[in-house]
Amino acid sequence: MISNHSRRSWLICTGVMLLLAVMALSGCTSNKTSNSSGKDENASAQQTATGKKLVMAYTWKPSGVDPHGDNSWDVMRSGAGETLVRLNEKLEPVAWLAKEWKQDSPTVWTFSLQDKVTFHNGKSMDAASVKASLLRSIEKSHLAKDLLNVKSIDVSGPLALKITTNQPNAALVSNLADPSTTVLDVASMKDEQSYPAMTGAFKIKAFNKDQSLIVERYDGYWGEKARLAEATMKFITDGNSRLMALQSGEVDVATDIPVDNAEVLKKNDKLQVLSAPSLRTHMLVYNMESPVFKDAANRKVVDSLIPRTSIVSAVMRGFGTEASSPFPSILPFGKVERKALDGTADQLLTKDGWQKDAQGTWTKQGKPFEVTLLTFPQRPELSVMAEVIQSQLLKEGIQVKIRKVENIDEALTKNDWDFAMYSMLTAHTGEPQYFMDMFYSSQSEANVSRYSSKPLESILNSLKLAKDTAQRNAVTLQALDIINTDLPQSFIVHPDNVFGVKKGVEGFTPHPIEYYYITAQSDIAE
Amino acid sequence: MIRFILERVAQLLIIVFVVSTLTFVLMRLAPGDPATILLTAHNVPASEEALTTLRQELGLNEPFHIQYVNWLRDVFTGHWGTSYVSKESVLAELWNRLPATVELAAAGFAVMTVLTLGLGLAASLKISGPLDRLGRLFALLGSSIPSFWLGFLLIYLFSVRLGWLPSMGREDWTHLVLPALTLGAGLGAVQARVLRAQMLELGDRNFVKAAKARGFSRMHILFFEIFKHAVLPIITLLGTNLSFMLAGNVIVETIFSWPGLGKYFIDAITQRDYPVIQGYVIFAVFLIVGVQCLVDVVQTAIDPRLRLR
Repeated sequence: MISNHSRRSWLICTGVMLLLAVMALSGCTSNKTSNSSGKDENASAQQTATGKKLVMAYTWKPSGVDPHGDNSWDVMRSGAGETLVRLNEKLEPVAWLAKEWKQDSPTVWTFSLQDKVTFHNGKSMDAASVKASLLRSIEKSHLAKDLLNVKSIDVSGPLALKITTNQPNAALVSNLADPSTTVLDVASMKDEQSYPAMTGAFKIKAFNKDQSLIVERYDGYWGEKARLAEATMKFITDGNSRLMALQSGEVDVATDIPVDNAEVLKKNDKLQVLSAPSLRTHMLVYNMESPVFKDAANRKVVDSLIPRTSIVSAVMRGFGTEASSPFPSILPFGKVERKALDGTADQLLTKDGWQKDAQGTWTKQGKPFEVTLLTFPQRPELSVMAEVIQSQLLKEGIQVKIRKVENIDEALTKNDWDFAMYSMLTAHTGEPQYFMDMFYSSQSEANVSRYSSKPLESILNSLKLAKDTAQRNAVTLQALDIINTDLPQSFIVHPDNVFGVKKGVEGFTPHPIEYYYITAQSDIAE
Repeated sequence: MIRFILERVAQLLIIVFVVSTLTFVLMRLAPGDPATILLTAHNVPASEEALTTLRQELGLNEPFHIQYVNWLRDVFTGHWGTSYVSKESVLAELWNRLPATVELAAAGFAVMTVLTLGLGLAASLKISGPLDRLGRLFALLGSSIPSFWLGFLLIYLFSVRLGWLPSMGREDWTHLVLPALTLGAGLGAVQARVLRAQMLELGDRNFVKAAKARGFSRMHILFFEIFKHAVLPIITLLGTNLSFMLAGNVIVETIFSWPGLGKYFIDAITQRDYPVIQGYVIFAVFLIVGVQCLVDVVQTAIDPRLRLR
């Protein structure tokens, strides 16, 4: 015998449970794609009747597909976007949407554009549309504005464009390879129902926020048509999840494989590990206002004690090269030798007034050689490097306190540190100018070492005027000579970009420049 | 009922104000400049001019108290600001991600409820029986295995080794299985032990003896006398866990690349996307208070004496 109250209670409880069950099931029965709902289109790594498809597990999660916003790299990597200039494997600027170019004066450049190029909405690309696109990129992107430093852009013919810069900017051509200058039909950005119309071998088919970017072959492409019918970039920010998605066969390519996991992939006969030297540099930045490191001799001693070879083999598992300047040796101006110490570390320290106490610690005027090293969690390998360096310096009588901070850039604005682990992309357009201006100008907020050198700034000013490549490389090497003499930073390692790739994937060649992932040549075996 | 609703609304407003103000203050005290983070996303340095311009655009150059007053005005006029990252309305961004979170929370809740009731009731039928021992083992595992580890184990077994289920994303129902299991299994196993303990404790009460004396069957006594009383604290626990799931489960969403609120919130913290962080906190408070109200209603329906309190 059950009371009415009991029945009512049970009805309410059962109703709530049913409601939750319906909520759970309601989202699972639909395959409808919609940007707002977040439902992903079904994109499996299989060949279908419509052609071959490739799925990539991608590290980042773009918030949109406007190539002139913060997501320019992601759009470029999808194969949908193109710039006037492309960088080849040697990191030299080569023709892309611009057929050729010439410098009329230190501040004026003329570009001839490719003909028969159409945007993804079928409109033809001409000088006027490229001008509108470049102006929009300068308006929307701080980086594009800084890189191009444009005074005016003029249409000098149907397919001819004249760009005038505010100051001499010899790096302009290389900087036009930056994804923030991707060429698009500006009118297509006004239609909220469509995706940006660019010029790449692929056009955007669907963007599912937080989930994926799907591109499909653009049949009206002006160059060699894409071999794939479709490519999907799935946004998987967790490294282990990317690895498992690759191992389970759900994706064909996985980007940014943690070096610790590369061995696991090498043992899998269905997968391969591909890598390319990157233009990134892991370094130690010295605080030039630190009581210990304002003395160049102490910086040089620490620099000489960094076990770079061990770091490359043990920490980077061989996926990296020892660094001797901000720039890797794949760049013509990166072939630099580190400066040898004038004597041993002990001799240099003794000469500088340091003495070893009974415990084997260097002391000066009663104070031990004790320094604070900052590191941060976002790049775990840097924290491991910090411990290796700490251990090595301790052996030599230098005591290092490691302090992990959540936000390294914020921590570097304070004064309670002596040196810090840091990582920068130093030549993201294959050019040294932008990085050096930002990192070594005494007025720049990005000059985290607070390093000031009038001779260096003078050389950097002359770099802006240096026209031909040989001259620019020579001037850059002069600048690097000053940097390696003063040592505001110790350059440790240039890490590789590591990819996991399913065997059968073709035309996926890791590139030192991190812009080109999916291309017209990307293919997958049937 | 009207008084009950008015009380809840007043409580909600106070909680929203206190929590979001606290969030506002803490976020401003936390190290990290949104402009620097946004402009150096790929470790390419940013110019002084770019940083200054962006700080002005985002209103970060205003004094702290002005930022606070502006934000307070926006909240009470229903405008929750614009995301620094996507440049879209915070409210729209949150609504877009809510279905995914609700879907996962509901599925996880279903797993948790089935395990709680199934294992809890089965274990209490025969103390130290096989089901009771199994329940104990599950509870031990559920309370000791972290969810990220369980998630990876499930992916390794069902995706990598067996290839039965997808390891990530949100496409069809199969994508929901592993994250829902990860989310609900541990909690369900632990709650099953709580239910079992409640059932055993109530088994000696006078009202149970009276029901036995009246000749009711064992099953009737178990379900309509003991369980009815034992389930009250379980409903509170279920409600608390549902709130936690609805607010977005960061770990599970990250492992399975599930496009929900939790992962979005963590990304917003990493990028110092202040409007999103503050918007999310208000959103989460509404969700949590809403679920607690639902729990109150269900509990009152089961035990009318609670109305008098």
